[in-house]
Amino acid sequence: MIFLAVRYLLARRRQTILTLLGIFFGTAAYIAISGFMLGFRGYFVNQLVNNNAHVHIQPREDFLTDHSLDLEFFGKSFDHAFWDPAPSGRKDSAIVEDPQAWYRRLAADPRVLAFSPQLTAAVIFSNGKATAPATIIGCDPLQQMKVTTIADYIVEGSFTDLAAGGNRVVLGDELRKRLGVRLLQNVMVASATNVPIPFKVVGIFRTGSRFADQGAYGALADIQAVNRTPNQVNEIAVRLEDYLQSAPIASTWSSLGQEKVESWDQLNANIFEVFRLQDAIRYVSIGAILVVAAFGIYNVLNMTVMQKRKDIAILRSLGYQSRDIIVLFFSQGVILGFSGALLGAIFGYLFSRYMQTIPFAGGPMGGRGPGGTLIISYDPKIYIQAVSLALLSAIFASLLPARAAGKLTPIEIIRAGAE
Amino acid sequence: MGIVARGVGKKIGNPEVRILSDISLEIRSGEFVALTGRSGSGKSTLLYILSTLDFASEGDVEIDRRNVAEMSAQETSVLRNQKIGFVFQFHYLLAELTALENVLMPARKIGKTEELTGYARELLQSFGLEGKEDRLPRQLSGGEQQRLAIARALLMKPRYLFADEPTGSLDSINSEIVMKIIRDSNQKFGTTVIMVTHDLGFARWADRRIHLVDGRIAPVPPTG
Repeated sequence: MIFLAVRYLLARRRQTILTLLGIFFGTAAYIAISGFMLGFRGYFVNQLVNNNAHVHIQPREDFLTDHSLDLEFFGKSFDHAFWDPAPSGRKDSAIVEDPQAWYRRLAADPRVLAFSPQLTAAVIFSNGKATAPATIIGCDPLQQMKVTTIADYIVEGSFTDLAAGGNRVVLGDELRKRLGVRLLQNVMVASATNVPIPFKVVGIFRTGSRFADQGAYGALADIQAVNRTPNQVNEIAVRLEDYLQSAPIASTWSSLGQEKVESWDQLNANIFEVFRLQDAIRYVSIGAILVVAAFGIYNVLNMTVMQKRKDIAILRSLGYQSRDIIVLFFSQGVILGFSGALLGAIFGYLFSRYMQTIPFAGGPMGGRGPGGTLIISYDPKIYIQAVSLALLSAIFASLLPARAAGKLTPIEIIRAGAE
Repeated sequence: MGIVARGVGKKIGNPEVRILSDISLEIRSGEFVALTGRSGSGKSTLLYILSTLDFASEGDVEIDRRNVAEMSAQETSVLRNQKIGFVFQFHYLLAELTALENVLMPARKIGKTEELTGYARELLQSFGLEGKEDRLPRQLSGGEQQRLAIARALLMKPRYLFADEPTGSLDSINSEIVMKIIRDSNQKFGTTVIMVTHDLGFARWADRRIHLVDGRIAPVPPTG
């Protein structure tokens, strides 16, 4: 019956092409939009997962509430105690209280790939008359390279040069521009409580993120000295064997000490909410296109069944069964759906290739793309989903007319023709 | 072997209208039978019941000693495909297929297209359609279309050929050609022919006439 179905479709070319276009555009749009959105998302998640630690162990947060001081003053907590003014502020710590315990724990955990103690400090950089407040991360460079991909973004110098110690610094490109400094020159670094200390610029990094590129890295001991907090760290960045286990591991570790332990996805939960919203919009909009296309198929097939009633009578009189008639009309819908989906997938792919050439320099997406262009996802799942959705809509649209055709008996048609 | 009807009746519609009443007949294998009667006498309805395209409201129809009502859809399909050929008043050809493809449609059902292509060409040749195998039905004349429809009905060498006013839409010359083909298939191949016709001249070509009046078998009028 496929042979006859193809002949039917070829005989009414214009109608066939118009119906096919609906599925074609639905599929192509799904692939192009999904490729763009997921390309951006993949890049973004990649940045989150690879550029930064999977788990962050930071000082505990303890904010004062209306009843935080009840115990200290009255020996028990009261719901009806009213403070005027109510206590406010925080009584947490700015440092990881017992980092050595964490180091032992992390070193013994087989799920941990690497960890890097850090001291993040707010400092003021100056180079002659140019000054810039910035955040500097003190770390063990070799450990930091195992935990983040910062070394990949070095555009001048070397990140490992920090390991030699002796007041060396790697600057973000934005910060370097603001200071007007070059590689191997000195900049002055001062904390709020210390006199400026000269640091030698041994590297420049450019991540593409303006915020990140306004920061700097130094050796942990040097930054502890600048900050006058020897042996103290305010974060331990951890990289895991499996980043997908970050959230459950972070939850387990939270119960082991006072520190705040958060995974990369917990830290960016709001971003994932946006992604979910994007997905919903993507599915609804493409669903709407495919529903319209499915109605096109439904209408065309319904009309064809009406027009081909005589053919149904002939075929039944020649020994073709009800199921053959169902196949005859159902396969037309499936052929339309499959052809439209296939052509749409090819066009969607080609359009994605074109989008990949669109310049998008300067933004986060342009940072690492070849020549600073849009990053497009070619995940096979997108194509499988697009083709499956198109086929499913075509199948649903074809079922009713095909079943109606299968139910027609030859004598009904002959009698109707005779009237 | 043959077709037997016992007490066949047919009612259709709501409210019910009786079309046929108490039809009992026997058509022996190899016979050429003409069903005659006025319009509305029920002859076409009887033809469709005898040919399995319709079913009787009352009574039984047997084809080759098998009760049609007891056959499964699959058995009925095989019967129509391999033992029965139909010719309608209007040719009922598939407009999208060529002449040869139309003739081969019954063979396509059982996957014997290649096997029967030679025979299909022979049929077209013997029906004066040589060289027109690749034409679409609309590129043929009315007479040629009807001959093509008969070729399709005869492709599977059916035991029974049912024809519903096969010359009803043709001029006298083409009617004559079509009737000769039908008679030849009866005489040369022993095909049992049951034909509904208004044309008393062609009715006389049959071995026997069954005349219907108001849904019942009636004596053949002496004038006709």
